[in-house]
Amino acid sequence: MDAILTYVVNVISLGGTYALLALGLAVVFSVLRLINFAHGELMTLAGYTLLAGIVLGVPFWAAVIAAVVVGGIAAVIMETTAFRPVRNANPATLLMTSFAVAMLLQVIFQNFISARGQAVPVPSMFTGSIPIGNAQISIIQAISIVASLASLIVLKLFFDRSRWGWAIRAAADDFETVRLMGYRASRLIAVAFLISGLLAGIAGVLWVMQRGSVDPLMGLKPVLAAFVVVVIGGLGSLPGAVIGGYILAGIEIALQTWLPESFIPYRDALTFVLVVVVLSLFPNGLFGKRIAEKV
Amino acid sequence: MQSLLEVSSLSVSYGGVRAVRDCSLRVEEGEAVALLGPNGAGKSSTLRAIVGLVKSSGDVTFAQESITGLACEKIVSRGLTMVPEGRRLFPQLTIHENLMLGARDRRAGHEVYDDLLDRLPILAERRNQPAGTLSGGEQQQVAVARALMSRPRLLLIDEPSLGLAPTLVDRVYELLGELKAQGLSMLIVEQEVIRVLNFADRAYAMANGTIELSGTSEELKNSDDVKNFYLGTET
Ligand SMILES: Nc1ncnc2c1ncn2[C@@H]1O[C@H](COP(=O)(O)OP(=O)(O)OP(=O)(O)O)[C@@H](O)[C@H]1O
Ligand SMILES: [Mg+2]
Repeated sequence: MDAILTYVVNVISLGGTYALLALGLAVVFSVLRLINFAHGELMTLAGYTLLAGIVLGVPFWAAVIAAVVVGGIAAVIMETTAFRPVRNANPATLLMTSFAVAMLLQVIFQNFISARGQAVPVPSMFTGSIPIGNAQISIIQAISIVASLASLIVLKLFFDRSRWGWAIRAAADDFETVRLMGYRASRLIAVAFLISGLLAGIAGVLWVMQRGSVDPLMGLKPVLAAFVVVVIGGLGSLPGAVIGGYILAGIEIALQTWLPESFIPYRDALTFVLVVVVLSLFPNGLFGKRIAEKV
Repeated sequence: MQSLLEVSSLSVSYGGVRAVRDCSLRVEEGEAVALLGPNGAGKSSTLRAIVGLVKSSGDVTFAQESITGLACEKIVSRGLTMVPEGRRLFPQLTIHENLMLGARDRRAGHEVYDDLLDRLPILAERRNQPAGTLSGGEQQQVAVARALMSRPRLLLIDEPSLGLAPTLVDRVYELLGELKAQGLSMLIVEQEVIRVLNFADRAYAMANGTIELSGTSEELKNSDDVKNFYLGTET
C-alpha cells in the first residue's frame, strides 16, 4: 500500500514537471512546427537565475519569480534573434538552429559560470518531509505537485478562455487562417515562446529544487524526456503533452522502483522500447492527428 | 470618386512560375462582383494577394488608400477580409471560439455575434460544438459569419458553393443576398457560373492568370465566349 502511494506521488511529481516541459515544446511546435531543443537551456538559465538570487540574498520567493520571468524573456529573445531570421526556412534548418542555440548556451554556461555543478541552497523549510500514512512525501515533492498542477490549470484556462489561447490552438491547425483573422504572425509566435519559456522556468525551478544543484548540461535529460512525451502524446496536441508527461513518468518510475537491481542500467533503454511500442500502435501519438503541411 | 477596391496590374509568382499576370479589376461600394475562371486560372491567388497572404507586384487601393504590400492583419483591420477557399474553419475549436477569433476585440465581437445569432439559428444552437462536427453547408455559413465578425466593408469570398448540395448553395446565397441588401460589397470567386451571374452586378472572367473578359452579369451571360468556356453549352 505504502509502496503504491509512494509510487503515485513520485509519478505525479515527476510527471507534472515533464508535462510542463512537454507543453512548452508543444506550444512552440504548434505555431512554428519546430521542436526547440534549446528548451532545456531555458530551464538551466532559470536554475542559474534562482541560484544568483539566493547568492545575492534576495528573498527566496523573489528569486523564484525572477527565475520564471527570466525563462520567459529568454525564450522571446531566443525567438527574435535565432528563429525569426530562419522562420520560413525548411524544418531541418529550424531544427539545426535550435541545436546550435542549445550548444551555444551550454558553452556560455560552462565558460562564464562553471563547467561543474553548483549547489543551490534551498531554504531549510523546504527540506523536510510530510508523513502520509506510513509513507513520506518530501516537501519539495509536494510543492512540485501543487505548482505543476496549478500551472496546468492556469494554462488550461488560458487556452479555453482567452482569444490568444484560441489563436494558438487554431494556429496549430492552420496558421494562415489565423493571420486572416487579423493576428500578426510575429506576435503570435512571440506569445507562444513566452508561454513556453515561462513553463521552462517553472520546470527549471522545480527540477533544481529537487536536485539541489544546477549545472550547464542540466537541461539535456529532461528536455529529451519531454521530447519523448510530445511524441507519445502526439506532436502538436496540448492535452497529449500533459497526459504523455504522466505516462512517461509512470513508466520511468515503475522501472526504477520494481526492476531487479541488475536491470537498472537498461532502464532508459527499456523506456524507449516502450515508447517504440506505443508509436507502432499509434503512429501519430496517442492524441495526435496527422500533421498538416505548413502552408 | 474612386472605387472601393481598385486592383491594377497585379501579378503573383510562385517560385518563378507566374500564377497571375497583370490583373486589373475594381469593386464599387455596395457592388457584388464575380470572378470566374477554370481551375488553376489564378482566382484564389488573386484574392490571396489582395488580402496580403501572398506576395505580389502591382497596386491595390482600398477605400482611397494604398494597401499594396501591407501585412494581412493590417489589411483586415481596414475592413477588407476573405472567406477562404474550402472554408478553413478551425475544426477543434467551438463555433463560438471560431467566430470570436474573427472579431477585432472581445467587446466588438460580442456585438456582432449577437446580430449574427438572429440571422443564423445554427450559431445559437450549436455554439459550443467543435466546428469540425458541422456539415459542409453549416460550415460555409459559419465561415461567412466568422469573416463578418471584423465588420468588413468588402468581403472576398472564394468558392462559397464548393462541395455543397444545391439546396445548401441556395442557403448560402440567401445569406449573401441579405448581406448585399445591407450594403456589404463583395468579390466572389465561383465555379457555379449561372448562379453567381444571377447574383452579381458585374463579373470578370479569368484564364491563365489574366482577365480575359469583363462586363455586367447580363453581358457575360450572353457572351458566346462564356457560354463556350464555362457553361459548356455549344452555340
Ligand atoms: N502555394 C502555391 N505554390 C505554388 N504554386 C501555386 C500555389 N498556389 C497556387 N499555385 C499555382 O498557381 C496557379 C493558380 O492557382 P489558383 O489557386 O490561384 O487557381 P484557382 O483559379 O483558384 O483554381 P481553382 O479553381 O482550382 O481553385 C495554379 O497553377 C496553381 O498550381
Ligand atoms: Mg481557387
